Amino acid sequence: MNILYQGIISFFSVVGFSILFNLPRKLIVAASISGMVGWMVYVLLQNQGTNFIIPAFAGSITVGLIGELFAVIKRHPATLFTIPGIIPFVPGYGIYYTMLYIVEKNFEKAMTTGAESLFIAISIACGIVLATSFVRIIRPFVEKIFKVN
Amino acid sequence: MESIEIKRIIKIAMKTGRLMLQNGGETYRVEDTVKRMSESRGLKEVSVFVIPTGIIFSADLGIETFTGLERVNPEGIDLESIDRSNNFARQFTSTDMSLDEAEKRLSEIENPPKFSKLIRVLGSGFGGGFFVLMFGGSAIEFLLAYIASSMTIYITDTIDSKHLNFFIRNIIGGFAAALLSLLFVKAASVLMISASIEKVIVGPLMTLVPGVSLTNGIRDLISGELLAGSAKIMEALFIAIALAFGVGVILQFFMA
Repeated sequence: MNILYQGIISFFSVVGFSILFNLPRKLIVAASISGMVGWMVYVLLQNQGTNFIIPAFAGSITVGLIGELFAVIKRHPATLFTIPGIIPFVPGYGIYYTMLYIVEKNFEKAMTTGAESLFIAISIACGIVLATSFVRIIRPFVEKIFKVN
Repeated sequence: MESIEIKRIIKIAMKTGRLMLQNGGETYRVEDTVKRMSESRGLKEVSVFVIPTGIIFSADLGIETFTGLERVNPEGIDLESIDRSNNFARQFTSTDMSLDEAEKRLSEIENPPKFSKLIRVLGSGFGGGFFVLMFGGSAIEFLLAYIASSMTIYITDTIDSKHLNFFIRNIIGGFAAALLSLLFVKAASVLMISASIEKVIVGPLMTLVPGVSLTNGIRDLISGELLAGSAKIMEALFIAIALAFGVGVILQFFMA
């Protein structure tokens, strides 16, 4: 139930970011679906109490895979579907707390939070790259399944 | 081929590349596009070098070498523009589009359709608002974050239309995000509604954080584009510093 709720709100959040990035209207729903499924994977893994990197990594792989799939089906660059979708993983809280700790002169905690945020960002990028490379390998099969010419 | 014609081809290819790059396109996409577009019209030995602030180009035809340089100023992310220039490049390479027509179409896609200001401001606010809910905010915190995000976007859009420097833009953005969130939370507490500033403030900040530059930069680094990747990460870092500066001023004054 919680996952479903998280899925619905993340869908609308990604719609908002799609408008912010001026995504073509007819692609907004597709981008939001990829963001939503990615976020559900993120929440699911986070509930399992995994390390802080794994959920963002798995989530962005999911966003990347679904985005690439939409790119093949709808004939648009995959970036259009992945950029709004990965924004929820971006460590906004991490960046905020890093600055908060710096303002409070708590440099040790600022260091930890800052490094964590950086690692999350790296894991997002790795996830997207991994998904792209994987789809490049299986692309002929995907095109055959969806009969794209 | 006439040398003037080749220069026009190069101009068209580089302008397409510039459109992609200044609207947040990835380095490899820009390099690939410019290369393909010029090779499709018979240029040989094409080298394209792309960093976030410029495109350098060189190609051979016979014994002559043609070069070009295009300065690029990043203008934030506009996916519609990337989509259109990508589409244009694909048609330019796969059909015999005349240069006159190509130039005409290129000037058309230079100003892609945008969401109306009202939809943009009201719609983008949902990004920040729902983000607060995703991290366990209450309904009232959602509402406050939504209004604060919409207003922050309105303010940064107004700054963008004045073409201020990106650092100043983000200082003002962070300042506005923190000030608005703080004011709304205080106003809510006057009305005996409790909302936590730490939850609300992240909504408007999410509309400003350089998430795309950061991931694209790391992506460039992973794929070996060391210079372009470092430049993008530096951009992200300085945006984050500017935001921290803007937010920090507010936090210093009101939370100490």
